[in-house]
Formats: sequence, C-alpha cells, structure tokens
Amino acid sequence: MKILVVEDEKGLAESITDYLSREGFVCEVANTFWQADEKISLYQYDCTIVDLTLPDGNGFDIIQTLKKIAAATGIIIISARNTLEDKLKGLEIGSDDYMTKPFHLSELNARVKSLIRRRNFGGNNDMTWKDIRVNLPARKVFIKDNETTLSKKEYDLLLYFLSNIDVALTKESIAEHLWGDNMDSADSLDMVYSHIKNLRRKIVEKGGKDYIQSIYGIGYKFTAP
Amino acid sequence: MKLLEKASRIYLLASLLIYAGVGIAFYWIINFMIYDEVESRLMVEKQDFETYIRANDTWSNNSYFVENKIEVVPVFGKFDNRAVFTDTLISNRYDETADPFRQLTFYTLIGGSPYRVAIRKSMIESYKLIEAISAAMIAFLGLLLVSTFLFHRILSGKLWKPFYDSLARIKDFDWTKNKPLETVRSEITEFNELGDVMEKMASKMQHDYRSLREFTENASHEIQTPLALINARVEQFIQSKDLGENHTYWIEEIYHAARRMSRLNQGLLLLAKIENQQFTEQEELDLSELALNKLKDFEDILQHKQITLSLHSTGSFRKIMSPALADILLNNLINNAIRHNYNGGELRLESGIDYVQVSNTGNPLKSDPERLFERFKKESTGAESLGLGLAIVKQICDNCELRISYRYEEPIHTIKITG
Repeated sequence: MKILVVEDEKGLAESITDYLSREGFVCEVANTFWQADEKISLYQYDCTIVDLTLPDGNGFDIIQTLKKIAAATGIIIISARNTLEDKLKGLEIGSDDYMTKPFHLSELNARVKSLIRRRNFGGNNDMTWKDIRVNLPARKVFIKDNETTLSKKEYDLLLYFLSNIDVALTKESIAEHLWGDNMDSADSLDMVYSHIKNLRRKIVEKGGKDYIQSIYGIGYKFTAP
Repeated sequence: MKLLEKASRIYLLASLLIYAGVGIAFYWIINFMIYDEVESRLMVEKQDFETYIRANDTWSNNSYFVENKIEVVPVFGKFDNRAVFTDTLISNRYDETADPFRQLTFYTLIGGSPYRVAIRKSMIESYKLIEAISAAMIAFLGLLLVSTFLFHRILSGKLWKPFYDSLARIKDFDWTKNKPLETVRSEITEFNELGDVMEKMASKMQHDYRSLREFTENASHEIQTPLALINARVEQFIQSKDLGENHTYWIEEIYHAARRMSRLNQGLLLLAKIENQQFTEQEELDLSELALNKLKDFEDILQHKQITLSLHSTGSFRKIMSPALADILLNNLINNAIRHNYNGGELRLESGIDYVQVSNTGNPLKSDPERLFERFKKESTGAESLGLGLAIVKQICDNCELRISYRYEEPIHTIKITG
C-alpha cells in the first residue's frame, strides 16, 4: 500500500510517514506543490494525504489533478483551516475525508485504513485479529466465533483499536474519535473509561483475552498480552 | 433635520426679515416724499396768500371749498410767530367721516391786527396713493419671496442630488464584499473631492478587512501547524516501550498544554472571525429544531451523567442567520449546560416563537453573573474549560441581533436567547 504525504512542514510529514510506515504502509513525502504534482503524475498511490496550504500552491489543485489522472486514489485533506466552506469544498472536489490540524496520528491512521478498506473491498470484508473477527458490513463482532453484542460506541471503539494494534492511544484521541471534538470535557474522559471497561468485559466474557492494556497517565493500547 | 429643509428655513426667515425691512423703509420714503410735496405746495400757497394780503390788506373767510381752504382767525394776546406744519382731521360735511389734512399755520398782520392763518390740503389722495403703492409692494415682495424660495429649493435639490446619491451608495456599501464603492460624479468639485476621499477610505477599509481576514486565517495555520507537530511527536514518543512514570506524567502535561493551546487558538480565532463578520452566509433557520437535533450529539454524555432531559416547545423560533454560527451557538449553550451540571441533574430545553432557552441544575455562580459572558471567565477550575464558550455565544448573539440573558433560580441556571 503506497501513500503520498503532501505536507510542507517537514517535521509533521516525517511524523506521519514514521507512524504510517510502522503500520506497514510505504510512504513518500512531497514538501512542495511541484514535488507533489510531479509525483502524482509519475507514480500511483493508494492514498494521498494533502495539506491545503502549501508555500507554492494550493492543495485543492493537487486534488483536482489527482482526480483526473488517478480517480481510484483515496484522498484525505489535512488542514489548519477549519471553516465549513473549506470542508465542503474539499468534499465537493472529490476528497474522501477532511481532518483539521492538530489531529491525532492514530486517528489519521484509522481513517487511512478505513478509506483503503472501502476502496479495495467496497466495505465487504471481515477484519480479523487474533481471535476477534469483525464483519464490517453487518457490524457484527465475533470472539472465537461467538457473536458478542456491542453498543454503537463500543463497536466504534473496537474498530479504532483494531486499526491501531500495538499502538499507545491517548484517552483524548479516543474521546475525540468517539464524540468528535465539539465535546471536550472531563466527562468525556470518564465516558472513555466506562466504554473501555465494558468492551474489555464483553471480550473476556466470550472467551477472548484481555487485549486492552492501560498505560498509566496516557491511555490504552490494544495488544496481545 | 435635513440640510435642504434647514437651508430653506434659514433662507425663508432671512428673506422675511429683509423684505419686511425693505418694505418699511420704502413706505417711509414714499410717505416722506408725499409730505414733502404737500408741504412745498402749502409753502407756495402761503406766499400767494401773503402777496394777496400785501396787495389788498383784507381777507374774507368765505371760500366755500374744502380744498385750498384758508382759515383766518384773529389772535389776541401773545403768540409764537412761527410757521408750523400739523396733521389734522376735518370732518366731512356730507358723510360724517374725518378726512386727513396737512395744515400750515402761520401768523400775519391783516389791516394792522394779527391773524392766525391756517392753510390746509387734503391728504386723502396721497393716502390712497401710499396704500396702493404699499399693497403693490407687499404683493410683489411676496411673489418674489415665494418664487425665489421655490427656485432655491429646486436649485438646491438639483445641486445636492449627486451628494444624496453618493450618500445612499455609501450607506449601502459593504466592506466585507469585494465590490468597490462608486460615488456619483458631478460638475461640483467639492462633491467629487468628497467622493474621491470616500472611495479611497472605502477601498482602504476593504483592503484592511481582507488583510485582517487573511491574517486570522494565516495565524490559525501558522499556530496550528507547530501544535500539530507537537501532538504528532508526543504520539510517536508514547509508543516507546521504556517510559517511566515520570516521563508519562511530563508527556501528558505537554500533550494537554498543546491541546489546550490549540483549542484556545481556535476559540480566539473564532471570536475574531465573528467580530470581523466573516460568517456572511445567511439562511432562515429553526433554532428550536436545531437545538433538538444538537441534543442528539450529547446523548451519550447525558446518559453518562444521568441528566434528565426535559423538552418544552410552544412554537418554532425562526431566525435568519449563519448556519455555522447557529450550530456553534447551540453547541456551546448545551455543552455549557452539561459541563456545569451535576450528576443526576436536569437539563431543560424550552423554545417559543421568539426565544430558545437552556436551563440546567448547577451550583450557584461563584462570580458576578454580570461577568458571565466575558472572555476567560471560568467557573470551574478544570483544565478542560477555556472560558471562551459563553463569550463566543455572546459574540454571536451581538452579531446576529439576538439578546441573551441569564437568570438563576436556585438551583436552575437559565440562559435565554431572544430574537
């Protein structure tokens, strides 16, 4: 899976590529508009992550070119601009997702994976890890082939974990993934805690292992014990 | 008062005073001329009379006619030998009216004895002349006054028209749009100069507004990007296996501070954007319905905090405003009502034809309710609270011509938005 990261802030581009490389993606970076333009005309990517504000051009133009020459490529916009107009414009010209800076790498990772899944399998696939199997179209979860009933948020939480195996996730990134960033309060961290507790219980009840590991002060990690 | 009206009034008042002055002066002059004429005739008659007396040395008081009536009366004792003009009234012998006469009285010797002689001339004709002239004067002056007044009005209206047209365009001018201000050109240099100055100011305003807008957007980008980098680096850092408890504590602090800063930045930028009126899109919205929908986003947390929700609606509150601002407004109101609620508390959403209000149970305010909507006015010391939520609500209300009020009836806090 090849991913192109178009981002002028070198440090951020490096963080994104490091993080995504760990997940098994092959990443390339373009720091300028012209680099990006050249790369998309030479190579094929499964997914492109585009920053809208580039020193020598506009990210929207890259997306438009990309749509013309490689319509199958998934496009995620990462931008500091958080106005509704920008978001709508981004979706209008064919991007698949819009993330406002600052974002969580884990969230970006989950969205890249979900985008590639949708592109490659039309959403018609199972996600399997150890003895957990998720049937995505039916939104059903099986532990050791026993179906377990999860609430909507628990299901979202599990998918988020499955997209970020072996990765330390902050409580904040989980809360934001589940409820968006318009509800930022101490209460949402409490809610994360109670959802984690329920999910852990439901997995263990059906014979699974306790995959959710707490990291003191930071958050949680989904990993084989 | 409008300029034209004011000018007309002043003009009218000044004209009236001047015309009245001119009229009175004219009257006096005519009066003087007529008297002068009559008196010189009387003087001539006096000479005639004296010539007659010198020749005949006798006078008979038998002249019948009123005109040129000469009255000769003998005087006894002392007299002041002077010729004097007086006005007198003599009764008409036919219709019992008194007619005005000018009379010259003097003394003379007839046959050796002194006599007082009075020669009179009727003023009836002269008075009629004065009346006629005065009437004509008044009529002409009045006509002149009215016509110059009308002329002045029409002329002023014409002359000032470019000014009023330009004024209307200036009133319509919107500096948030890209359309430049175009004032009306005319033959009048001053108006053209004024137009030039206004156009220059308007284009400066548009330019400043644009650069401010660009600045706020660029500032957002410039600040959010390093914050995104801090976040990303922290996220990478926490992946390392050998973090001590101390390390995780520090990292958490850094992470929180960066997130807080990012939210603060976003909040302040939002306030600046609202102040700069950058949310120009307008739509008719049903705020009551929007608030209801908004509550769905908060279902989880309401359940988590076991907050009882009660809804009461007597009508839909329709308002033309920016949908983005309406969304932020309601989000912040509900968020506020949940954040400052206690577990097992209550949240009430009420709406009517011209208001929407959110009430919640909560501890009494520690600070002055007057200052509730100020920036960085925090009730809770929780690090998550920025103290911008209600300031943003207030700013949105101010910009969208909504009124906001706060009420506390223990233990219910209510914030009401009225249209």
